Amino acid sequence: MVVTPDHLTLQPRVIFEYNGSAIIAMAGKECVAIASDLRFGVQLQTLATDHKKVYKIHDQLFLGLSGLASDAETLSQRFKFKHTLYKLREERDIKPSAFAQLVSATLYEKRFGPYFCQPVIAGLEPDGTPYLCGMDSIGAIETAKDFMIAGTASDALLGICESLWRPDMGPEELFEVTAEALLSGQGRDCLAGWGAVVYVITKDQIIARQLKERTV
Amino acid sequence: MASATGGFNFDLVERNELLQKRGMQGPGFTKTGTTIAGIIFKDGIVLGADTRSTSGSTVADKNCEKIHFIAPNIYCCGAGTAADTENVTGMVSSQLELHRYGTNRESRVVTALTLLKSHLFKYQGHVSAALVLGGVDFKGPHLFTIYPHGSTDSLPYCTMGSGSLNAMSVFESGFRDDMDQASAVELVTRAIRAGVYNDLGSGSNVDICVIKRGSVEYLRNHQYLQGKTYERAHPMVIKSGNAPVVAERRFDVAQYVEVGPAPEAMELS
Amino acid sequence: MDCSGEHNPSSTSPPHTGTTIVAVTYAGGVVIGADSRVSTGNYISNRASDKITPLTDRVYLLRSGSASDTQAVSDYVRYFTEQHESQLQRPALVKTVAGMIRSMNYQYKHLVGAMIVAGWDAAGGPQVYGCPIGGTLSKESWTTDGSGSTYIWGYLDEEFREGMTRSEAEDLVATALELAMARDGSSGGVVRLVTITEKGAERRLIKPEEHPVLWDELPTPLGVVV
Repeated sequence: MVVTPDHLTLQPRVIFEYNGSAIIAMAGKECVAIASDLRFGVQLQTLATDHKKVYKIHDQLFLGLSGLASDAETLSQRFKFKHTLYKLREERDIKPSAFAQLVSATLYEKRFGPYFCQPVIAGLEPDGTPYLCGMDSIGAIETAKDFMIAGTASDALLGICESLWRPDMGPEELFEVTAEALLSGQGRDCLAGWGAVVYVITKDQIIARQLKERTV
Repeated sequence: MASATGGFNFDLVERNELLQKRGMQGPGFTKTGTTIAGIIFKDGIVLGADTRSTSGSTVADKNCEKIHFIAPNIYCCGAGTAADTENVTGMVSSQLELHRYGTNRESRVVTALTLLKSHLFKYQGHVSAALVLGGVDFKGPHLFTIYPHGSTDSLPYCTMGSGSLNAMSVFESGFRDDMDQASAVELVTRAIRAGVYNDLGSGSNVDICVIKRGSVEYLRNHQYLQGKTYERAHPMVIKSGNAPVVAERRFDVAQYVEVGPAPEAMELS
Repeated sequence: MDCSGEHNPSSTSPPHTGTTIVAVTYAGGVVIGADSRVSTGNYISNRASDKITPLTDRVYLLRSGSASDTQAVSDYVRYFTEQHESQLQRPALVKTVAGMIRSMNYQYKHLVGAMIVAGWDAAGGPQVYGCPIGGTLSKESWTTDGSGSTYIWGYLDEEFREGMTRSEAEDLVATALELAMARDGSSGGVVRLVTITEKGAERRLIKPEEHPVLWDELPTPLGVVV
């Protein structure tokens, strides 16, 4: 690979490009999929190839965290903690839409010293309808009825998702489309790759699949 | 860990400044490079907004909502950093709801105005929300613009955001006192459209909100200008088994169990 | 990157009342006046604003400088004055109100507000106080401030007389503002006048078409057939 002198400097230009990630969430008919790549690297050096960026909050709600890996780790733990407290108080799982507000409020609290993370939330509401949303690092919610993307590969992912997504996909087709979009998109990103995980969430099943990919 | 007091938390500021000093550029936020506008007409207020939100040069959301609920008789258009407009309007909205609960009176537009401007002034422009606030209370219709630094203007017609110049030129040529509702909606729509077509930061559709004494009409996507430009005639269908799956696990998470009819009661005698 | 364009008020300089304000005492009261332009960078964000803010029935504030700072100061001082009046059960003195503005300017040094307090009270009759940035306070028989004031100091020096009549004073203020608005790019719009006497305050609005003074005094561009 040819490396431009710009990449030889130890400092990345943007903090979001320190670790690198690719995350997609897509809505189907009474199901949602959320997927991430598996690379964990510090700038261009790959350190691990089994690093999932998607966290399960509960059976019907998943959270993807792109950006600085250390902040993603911290946030995932905070949100698990907050959900556990919610469950103890309310004796039920949190609704995805309510969880989105919780994430947003948590991020906006740090408006003037943010976590370097962009979350993607995917889940099923109690009535089975898909809920998808994304946020910037200070909690500006952006809801979508089709798909949501985040990470260093987001420019490449945006186009392919726009092209492949169709309304009312079933769990199987949703999986194929999400996988195809993610692998195509992250193939063009130096900072994401090394395979992927895809979770398809339906009312009564979570289907987790690992995908292989040649990156070298 | 979780703060009970509310307000901002500055724990990470020092760390982030250190990172920034080492040459790492901080994150960009979602902005609403926007056209928002409002006018006073014969029976009330018409507010308008485009629906584009941007993150850098990428369109982050093609159909976002920029006209925020403040109170049943007050709405507010927001431009600037998306998180700030969303949160500042949300905060004022809930403060007013509690105030109504305590006083049993309809909220007044100037109360919303004062809450908004004092919050923005406190943060000296760092909370970057540029707002057009409109509503009708017992004193009649009110329309205000609020700048990120906390200054306010009161005008019969006003615009904000990157497309404000485009929209204002339409108002300056087309505004008349005491317009009827149809022509007021038409004028605001034209003003927003001027922003949508001529300002790169604004785009997509036109949202309109008409507030009158005792009624609100929220016309979401009043003009749907930019739907998908083309739809594939033969959408790509990826057949099952295409993805290179190396491992699969399924978890049954069914939450509800089917319960059959209750058994007959036992004979006890 | 913010692609929202250079005119976005959220990304450019905050609104400034790049202003001309004038206050003049006469035999029975004070006449105060202001232009109506508020600019955000090069853009006129409000062409009909009101920079003459009432603090009590007979004490008014002329604002120039940062729009947000002067609005906040006037809101606070109006609130303080209201408390003060209800405690003393009498109208506040002009001097007292001006003192409050001064102390805000002195205590909060970051404020960018050159203001003028003018009004009438039973103890001192008509009074004008200049409250420039930094926290000074000076009693004057007339004063002017804002970016446009530089153009009219000489005019006011020359034309002001003690003990003018009301209409003489109103004409003086209006003409001074018109002169300033003609030369200063960040002043313009309409002329707003307030005359404060023992009886209270009266407002006057002079639209651009009503002050033709300067049209024929500015040179006609070469080659234009009039």
